[in-house]
Amino acid sequence: MSPVSRRPRAALVVASFIVLLSTASASAQESVPPPLPDAGIQEPDAGADAGSAEEVPPSLTPEELAEIEKAFGGDTQQGVPATTSAPPTATPGGGLPLSIPGSGSGTNLLDMSFILDLAAAAFTSKEPLQGGAHDPSRNGFNLQQLELSIGSVVDPYFRFDANIVYSQFGVEIEEAYGTTLALPASLQVRAGQFLTRFGRLNPTHPHAWDFADQPFALSRVFGGEGNRGLGVELSWLTPLPWFVELTGSLTDATGEATARSFLAASNDRVLSPLDLQATGVVKQFFPLTDDLSLMWGLSVATGPNPTGYRNRTDLYGTDVYLRYRPITEASTTLLTFQVETFYRRRQVPGDVLTDFNGYAQAAWRFSQRWAAAARYELGTPARGENGEVAEDPLDPEWTKNRDRISANVSFWPTEFSRLRLQAARDHARWRDEADYSLFLALELVTGAHGAHAF
Amino acid sequence: MRHFRFVAALCAALTLFIAVPARAAVNVVTTLPDLAALTKAVGGDLVQVQSMALGSQDPHRVDAKPSLALALRNADLLISVGLDLEIGWLPNLQTGSRNPRIQVGNAGFLNASQFVRLLEVPATKVDRSEGDVHPGGNPHYLYDPRQAAAVARGIAERLAQLDSKNAATYRANATRFVTELDAARVGWEKRLAGLKGVPVIAFHRTTPYLADWLGFEPIAFLEPKPGIPPNPSHVAQVLVQARQRKVRMVLIESYYNDREAKMVANMIPAQLVVLHGGTDFRAGETYIQHINEMVGNLEKALTAGKGG
Repeated sequence: MSPVSRRPRAALVVASFIVLLSTASASAQESVPPPLPDAGIQEPDAGADAGSAEEVPPSLTPEELAEIEKAFGGDTQQGVPATTSAPPTATPGGGLPLSIPGSGSGTNLLDMSFILDLAAAAFTSKEPLQGGAHDPSRNGFNLQQLELSIGSVVDPYFRFDANIVYSQFGVEIEEAYGTTLALPASLQVRAGQFLTRFGRLNPTHPHAWDFADQPFALSRVFGGEGNRGLGVELSWLTPLPWFVELTGSLTDATGEATARSFLAASNDRVLSPLDLQATGVVKQFFPLTDDLSLMWGLSVATGPNPTGYRNRTDLYGTDVYLRYRPITEASTTLLTFQVETFYRRRQVPGDVLTDFNGYAQAAWRFSQRWAAAARYELGTPARGENGEVAEDPLDPEWTKNRDRISANVSFWPTEFSRLRLQAARDHARWRDEADYSLFLALELVTGAHGAHAF
Repeated sequence: MRHFRFVAALCAALTLFIAVPARAAVNVVTTLPDLAALTKAVGGDLVQVQSMALGSQDPHRVDAKPSLALALRNADLLISVGLDLEIGWLPNLQTGSRNPRIQVGNAGFLNASQFVRLLEVPATKVDRSEGDVHPGGNPHYLYDPRQAAAVARGIAERLAQLDSKNAATYRANATRFVTELDAARVGWEKRLAGLKGVPVIAFHRTTPYLADWLGFEPIAFLEPKPGIPPNPSHVAQVLVQARQRKVRMVLIESYYNDREAKMVANMIPAQLVVLHGGTDFRAGETYIQHINEMVGNLEKALTAGKGG
């Protein structure tokens, strides 16, 4: 598809976003019900007007309702913002001086946690090919990251999440975004700086990874930090009987470590939505049995690249995640299988380069505290339209296949700490011999208990 | 790029969003099956109830499957145990459900712990050197039918508020259920009168409410600290204590691996009592049947212990 034909459509999406945001608050049907008083249970007569937002009290005629809507700009049901941060007073112990944020009330002002990732590493290679910004990458001790994760409900309409990462010599805002809570029709908008939902691993943080480093597919295609940027995202949970989520986002296409295949370090001015990265994702979930689940994602991203006027990069990816965890009997077993592939197509002067990167991994948690995992990764060199290996402007040395095999054992003393011993054989065919590496990684989590995504 | 055309069309359609007529039944989703059973008892045919977890699952560790977000999407009411029991899996599902009604602070979210007389609320500062502590108090309160009665009344009040047309029915159902539960409780207490003051060993700190109700005394736990699996030195200590105090019962929830508990019970020697972690709501079990089964298991162990 030519870029020209996409221009009006992308503009339409942006325009619709704006219209949608402005009308969301005016939708009276699915708006936020009035807040509860702190005392939990209401007197019956006091609660008479607190019915479900979709109900019209029988005494109200449609004309009356129309009149109210006219007078209040459609905001009929939206009362005073709920006090999301006030714990129910009926909960004893709510006022204790606790050292853990998020006390038992289930509501609190701010969830904060610090995650520390350290690793001792040994490489046989003088120049290890570790691409991830949080990977152990040098002999000796590595501070992979110190991540401050903050999350909170802002008001009945938004929640706020941020991940701020401290390295030894600096701080960066990895993510900081707002998520809508009260849009109608199963829609949700995220705005701010966020990791795009391309694939399975990209939107996650090292805490959720089964390995001490990230697959090289991500650092080669997106950059060491993974694909993220300032932007806006709209997602929709479709009304189908199984889980189908459609996500579309527009993000900044610049960043050496975050949008490597797009504009990377070039500072081109944004003149139209076509100068941004557009990402589309379809996620489907199938609970095959109580114990077995399948998640399948299809992702596509497109954006400009700096090799010439109107040259573009398109990425296509699919991810499959199979999870086996017996829940109908006492068991600590967890088996997961995960495959992710990235197909990249880049327009360069006089040619179109294509390459393929991917990984497959299996993890087996065989007791409450122990797990083992193995991963195979593959990356092909970029080939031109004639099928010959071409000069890759981003990775000129990548003239042959590279594969890497990693295996590890993890030990969790508790849910809040983790030790991981990982070994890998990295075989980049353009090098004389394979490189071997060994990591011992430690992770500590302190503060609020984060919620785990699936 | 068909996807983009679709999203654009969708946004345009949404600006012309039209009201959806309300459904007849109140759609309730609970985190645990015990809460689902209580909701069904007070809601009857007026409610549609679904539990996110099975009774066979450890409520601390439930997978946040996207299909659960799907269930929450259409819920009018979400009922949780609270006290951080579901903290590892519920918040993401609430956000992912895109359902404003069930967000914390709105009428469609009910934290059931507010109706309960809480036990083990830390009076001093706590930190995780104590293990996976619940700083708001112990969340395993649904083992005590007296607390369940209070929760049932609380659920009925909230249903009455959400569906005011049927308020009287919910309150009448709650009264009827509590009467039935109280009658059953008197019978259970009679059957288990022999448990008063009896020392027992338990696996995890799930027992305070049960102990408070039935009067037995949990003297030690097989987990050295909550969430930390048993280790040999600790188990040896527990064994010595158990023999000293002539413990006749070892309690464990069905969702824990009972290997260590079985071994310890054999070595003491004592009866191993497996408590079902929750009502088998999916199979149609009621809360009263669930507690009745638990009482039956305790009674069996009690009589066997006396005989042995």
